[in-house]
Amino acid sequence: MSCGNPQAEPDALMQRKKKYDKTRNCVRCKDAIGNIVIRHAVYCKYCFFPLTTHKFRRALEPNVNAKPDGPRKTALKPAGTLLVGFSGGLGSSVLLDLVYKCYVSLDKSTMPAEGGRDHPRHERVWKKITVCYVEVCDAFPGTPDRTEDVTKFVSRYDELQLATLRIQDAFDPAWWEKIGGRMSFADIGVSLADEALFIGSLTQSHLDPLAALRAYLSSLPTPTAVHSAIQTLVRVLLLHSALHTGASHLILGTSLTSLAISLISGVAQGSGFNIREETSEEWYPDTGVTNVPEYWPDEGRKGKRLKRTVRVVRPLRDIGMKECAAWAWWSHIPVVGKETWLWPGAKPGIGTLTKEFILGLEQDYPSTVSTIVRTCAKLQPKGEVEGKCILCGRPAQRGVQNWKAQIAIRSQPPPPPAADARAALSPAPVVAEPPFQASLTPYLCYTCHTTLTSRSARPVPTPWPDLARPSVVSLPVWTAARLSVSAESEGAEMVEPTDEEVVRQRKMGQDEMKSIVNEFLLED
Amino acid sequence: MSTISLKIEFGGGLELLFANQRSHRIDIPALVPVSAPSAAGPLSTDEQESQKKPADVTYLLYWLRDNLLKEREELFMEHGTVRPGVLVLINDTDWELEGEGDYQLKNNDEIVFISTLHGG
Repeated sequence: MSCGNPQAEPDALMQRKKKYDKTRNCVRCKDAIGNIVIRHAVYCKYCFFPLTTHKFRRALEPNVNAKPDGPRKTALKPAGTLLVGFSGGLGSSVLLDLVYKCYVSLDKSTMPAEGGRDHPRHERVWKKITVCYVEVCDAFPGTPDRTEDVTKFVSRYDELQLATLRIQDAFDPAWWEKIGGRMSFADIGVSLADEALFIGSLTQSHLDPLAALRAYLSSLPTPTAVHSAIQTLVRVLLLHSALHTGASHLILGTSLTSLAISLISGVAQGSGFNIREETSEEWYPDTGVTNVPEYWPDEGRKGKRLKRTVRVVRPLRDIGMKECAAWAWWSHIPVVGKETWLWPGAKPGIGTLTKEFILGLEQDYPSTVSTIVRTCAKLQPKGEVEGKCILCGRPAQRGVQNWKAQIAIRSQPPPPPAADARAALSPAPVVAEPPFQASLTPYLCYTCHTTLTSRSARPVPTPWPDLARPSVVSLPVWTAARLSVSAESEGAEMVEPTDEEVVRQRKMGQDEMKSIVNEFLLED
Repeated sequence: MSTISLKIEFGGGLELLFANQRSHRIDIPALVPVSAPSAAGPLSTDEQESQKKPADVTYLLYWLRDNLLKEREELFMEHGTVRPGVLVLINDTDWELEGEGDYQLKNNDEIVFISTLHGG
């Protein structure tokens, strides 16, 4: 078969492929004309709402009881209250609407038909629901503050409480103390200019949280690192807020599309080990740095009290961005909107590029996004867990720094000229060893370490170019607190090693190496 | 020349590109030259001069770009169609069910553009 000329033969043009299977009728009720195409399947407007509600409940409810279950026979009994992470974006706006209709107003249209009026599922599941919004406008120049719009939006839903935070709270000791965090005994920070990430003393103690935030962000090596750092700060702020408000669950408005974006973008940034946490995670707060309340797992206050944990669930993980947009439009939800995190001169980071790629992919091949998420759900990280990262709070992989040192290609200083080779053979002069400096590296996971150290080959404009960049920048309050506790528990070892033996590394010349192994060499 | 009247709505933040106005009532020509941008293939010069075609959604996209859009065209259109991440509803129905850009517009049609780009 040869290609025809479309100008001469109209039939030579390939027919555009339909985006839906079979007929235009709804695949659910088989009766009404469809209104929306969801991954090749056609649904009418009336079937779309119960379908979306079902997907939402199916993703959330098996995770409500402390013991996650499969086919649930018992009523939903969460161990604490609910915290809804709200960003003002489409996903979290739809999430809030669904939570309100399903668990607050008990909207009949969102209830499963079977089970009767007095079925336990028709009771209130959550005694208290708090909405937490983290305003990030102060991190970027010229970004409008949307707190007022968010307050107005949340006020549409009665009985929901709003808690607002600002991104700089991550550097605010007053906020940290208020939520029961342990204060660090010293003003310690980190030098982000050096790949070794040396821990040092802050030049200015009790820095204004906003200044500390901006100095931290300005010291990050790439736009990708800035985005990643803000996402981490928001996530940990939400987790601590959940703990503080007595929440057992933190739910986020990550849609199927957003989840696919964050999975691919995360893997590209080195968070493959934490790929499971990206979908759902159980966060165990660090009892050493924050006050962790206890609770009775059983009703009637029997048994042993347990330390509270926070389960992070993404109930929209089966609902694509398109479905969210349709829900918001048909439910008349006035989405507040979320600013793009950009600043003059900044190139799009890995997250932005991944988003553009995935959205294009979803438009042409709608099922691929779901395939990404389902494939990632089957991945099992290799290697053992060795503690938690003190920056992001996620599990860190054992021995990752050794591995990284072996595979990384690093620039070395040029070899000494031939004239200096003889000098290199002579014993090294006795000079004072540089003072031992503790590093942040052993406390970080691979992702956070890469975020802080992976540099661009070209100069990168920072969000705040006029800001004076101190050599040592503040760390988030939970990281500083953890470092303090570690230093306390290890005595002075962290700051000044007491070992008599000092290991020193230097690069040897070829002649020097040959002289050492000379007596073992066979003659030619 | 006959015109058709359309109701245009923007949502999900897309209205910010259109002077922050969510709802617009516009009149466009019912018939447009075949040479006008379209999802259909190109025609010869003679045909272009002699023929006209009913206005379709692709024509509307270009019309909106040229007449209503105030800033950042790249956030609205890409490669002759809407940018990925923008949901289009024609009379409350997904435009994928209506033939996307090839849908021939009728008088009093309601076309909605919703951005999904504001994420989670």
